[in-house]
Amino acid sequence: MSVAEATDARTRTTTIATRIRDRARDTPRTVAMREKDFGIWQEVTWADYWEQVTLVGHALLALGVEPGDRVAVHSENRREWLYSDLGAVAVRAVTVGLYPTNPAPEVAYLLSHSGSKILIAEDQEQVDKALDVLDQLPDLERVVYLEPRGIRRRYDNPKLLYWQDFLAVGAAHRDEHPGAVDERMSQARPDDVMTLVYTSGTTGPPKGAMLSIANVEFAITKLVEAGGFTSPPPNDRDILLSYLPLCHVAERIFTTWFNASAGVQVNFAESIATVQADLREIQPTILFGVPRIWEKILAGVNIKLASASPGKRLLSRFWLRVADRIGDTLAGTGGNHTLKTRLWYAVGWLFLFRPLRDRIGMRKVRYAASGAAPIAPDVLKFFMGVGVPMHEVYGMTENSAIATGNRPGRVKLGTVGEPHDGIELRIDEQTGEILTRHPGVFLGYWRNPEATARAVDADGWLHTGDVGEWVDGTHVKITDRMKDIIITAGGKNVAPSEIENALKASEFVKEAVVIGDRRPYLSALIGIELDTVGDWAQRRRIPYTTYRDLSERPEVIELVQGLVNRVNERFASAEQIKTFRMLPKELDHEDGELTATQKVKRAALSERFADLVESMYRTPPGGRA
Amino acid sequence: MTVARPRPRQLAGRPELYTSYAQHLRLLNTTPKRRAVLALAVVAFALPFVYDDQTLRLLTLGFAAAIGAIGLNIVTGYAGQVTLGHAFFLAIGAYTAAALSGDPDGRTIGFGVSNVAVWLLAAGLVAAFFGVLVAPLATRLRGLYLAIVTLGLVFLGEHVFKEWEELTGGPGVGREGPVPVLFGNQLNAPGDMFTGEQKLYLLTLVLLVVFAVLARNLARSKVGRAFAAIRDRDVAASVIGVSLTHYKVLAFAASSFYAGCAGAMLYTITGFIEPGSFNLLLSVQYIAMVLIGGVGTVSGSIMGAMFITLLPRVTRELPGFAPFVSSDASAPLNVFQIETVLYGLLIIGFLLFEPRGLYGVWIRLRNYWKSWPFSY
Repeated sequence: MSVAEATDARTRTTTIATRIRDRARDTPRTVAMREKDFGIWQEVTWADYWEQVTLVGHALLALGVEPGDRVAVHSENRREWLYSDLGAVAVRAVTVGLYPTNPAPEVAYLLSHSGSKILIAEDQEQVDKALDVLDQLPDLERVVYLEPRGIRRRYDNPKLLYWQDFLAVGAAHRDEHPGAVDERMSQARPDDVMTLVYTSGTTGPPKGAMLSIANVEFAITKLVEAGGFTSPPPNDRDILLSYLPLCHVAERIFTTWFNASAGVQVNFAESIATVQADLREIQPTILFGVPRIWEKILAGVNIKLASASPGKRLLSRFWLRVADRIGDTLAGTGGNHTLKTRLWYAVGWLFLFRPLRDRIGMRKVRYAASGAAPIAPDVLKFFMGVGVPMHEVYGMTENSAIATGNRPGRVKLGTVGEPHDGIELRIDEQTGEILTRHPGVFLGYWRNPEATARAVDADGWLHTGDVGEWVDGTHVKITDRMKDIIITAGGKNVAPSEIENALKASEFVKEAVVIGDRRPYLSALIGIELDTVGDWAQRRRIPYTTYRDLSERPEVIELVQGLVNRVNERFASAEQIKTFRMLPKELDHEDGELTATQKVKRAALSERFADLVESMYRTPPGGRA
Repeated sequence: MTVARPRPRQLAGRPELYTSYAQHLRLLNTTPKRRAVLALAVVAFALPFVYDDQTLRLLTLGFAAAIGAIGLNIVTGYAGQVTLGHAFFLAIGAYTAAALSGDPDGRTIGFGVSNVAVWLLAAGLVAAFFGVLVAPLATRLRGLYLAIVTLGLVFLGEHVFKEWEELTGGPGVGREGPVPVLFGNQLNAPGDMFTGEQKLYLLTLVLLVVFAVLARNLARSKVGRAFAAIRDRDVAASVIGVSLTHYKVLAFAASSFYAGCAGAMLYTITGFIEPGSFNLLLSVQYIAMVLIGGVGTVSGSIMGAMFITLLPRVTRELPGFAPFVSSDASAPLNVFQIETVLYGLLIIGFLLFEPRGLYGVWIRLRNYWKSWPFSY
């Protein structure tokens, strides 16, 4: 104990690594995380966690990692991601996260641009991506792989190192230099770069935002301890499912920072495909999702209800209408129940809401948040109606995700909430751009001072690139990304994301891309959701073979036309979609149509489907799609 | 820093989150299940103080039959070896117990060891011994062939029991059933506090609970998984390292042990053994219990046994409602014929419409509510 105390005294800077160490000392036997292995959720205690982190730290030291060196992690969410991240932070290295879906050229760009010295890759798939471009990566010294299958005894590249051997190197180093990690950790300074978060980059290559230890600590005070993202603040009884990519700042906050600072128990989903099943098992108390996830869960509920037995269908249809009314009331009261909604909810809880929430894994959710992209208010209202306390929050990598959030009881649908206490946020009078200034504003883009200069001005204001406006003087509503605003040939400014989200609120629409910049009228490319439309087609006995075939069925086009017409009613004439085309394929990250966070790359899309786009402007609108 | 690992704990309100394998395999893994089983046990133990002796006797017979049905389910349902020889093992158990506990000076063989614990164990062991003798047949034969061969056992047994008058008393005469004495207390005679029926009811209930739990444990252990592998495909099972001989012998031994104990208890309750009763019909009745109750389930075996045992009680009421049905065995349409027809119809009906038996009906019912508000 005396050694730990002595270390404590020397450590002046609190980092997420010291937080883990302190938890391991105070509550060694409490569960820190779980990961499913052969059907059993294996538990990791804080003592185990810290043991692994120190081993990784020693191993990194043994491999010659100096302060400021970059350590890249290319893996799905799993225990080793956190061990590597924290181990790197402990030895003052910089963690760089790569998306598991990054194709090889992007991996090459990210690794070479960041100049990573060590790469921790999950399996053969990710190792292959790095080995393919190894000659372009002079800085890369070691590739540590977690899953030996297909690599061990097959690959003889001298840079490869199996995770267990890597830990053994760490153990040997610890025997030789006990306390080396503690010593390095105690030298940490608040302005150390802690992590590079590469933004997905809908235009141009990804940029690496440098977040410092001070940024992250500020984020922890605002978002975790002050309840900015979970109110009341999270504690060690809260349970969380980690399923979104950890290289994204949002999941990093909820998984790593929530865990380190509040002791929230993290459970790793088996994969993004099993999220719904994992949610049911874990029943988290705090749930963060991107719009795509919420839309997908809603669509799943609708499909399953549609195929339920008649009695169940009748009952749930009735109670969903009640939920809709409750949602309407809650949207008006900021999320506070009135006596009437409370009574209706109590009865509905018995008939539908409790079992429904149980099935979608949200029975114990006390705080749900949506962020990282705009979402249709109708989707949020559904979840509020069935009793999931849903809050839209807003932030971006460059300000450590500290900007605004809806607070319980003061929710305004369609807005991203109020600025957090003690930060500066203003909306530029001329451009309408949202600007923030606080200690969470990042250090700059890695090896890209021009971009940094464009993002942060001389007064320290971060230009978010989002256009917004005040609602009732307290809440912020985001209109769109500045560069996405469409100016039609008629000179009208249109925010496409609002129209797109209204379309995507339907369970049948997966992608909607509004086009119309310098064009006489708006048009759209629409991609269907294969599951729901497939189910819809089956119930109507419409035969189909592939995604493309289904998309081009006249019945499906008619269905989408109906949706478009209904959405058009809500918008002014200049903002209406006059014609649309169906996307012939599902958009994909690997094909360069989506970013790693599943955002549409508009430029790439209009280039790829140029003939589709042009065809919409050759024939006069009103003609059949 | 190595700290003793805490025992994996279940998280409250998350029945599907398993943090250890033991938890995954727990019998009563949810609070509602624990409460329901407790309630069921309380009701079962309260019944003897509610019902009259006549009804209790019937229920007790049902419990004893349930032990036998569980036994048949071990070999047929879990291990997939169809056997028609169950009546033979019931007989072995009944005669072992009767002979051990019988009056040494009586008309038939008797050793006067009337302690229940002793003769029950002996009945099970002797039956299991014969089971082991028969088991090698199962390693050579499969499906229908095994059924035919085990059918032969029933006829062999019938013949031996009819001829061996010192033991059985001979056809049409029979002998007395086993004498149950536990802690100096004769269980089939009225005592100070309880009637004979009440005492036997409680004893059989306790035995049924013990045997049922043992069977459930067998089914969820390594042995149970080996049985299931053999049932699903014996060749595949042997390829993955399941010793067919070993496990088939084990299945027959366990099954006949259950049958022996069941036989001993059944004839303690009726108090009389007629050697002609161990015929094909008895085997078929047990097959019916398993099929109607649910193949490969313990609770199904119990449901099936109770159903088949209580069925005659219901059909005997028929003449009251339908005057054209007679309770006279010599009448053209009588309740006994109806009973036989009903067995047949029920087996056909269950096989066609609910192959998982009464247990399947329960599962269907449970899933309807479990999947609420969806259908799957």
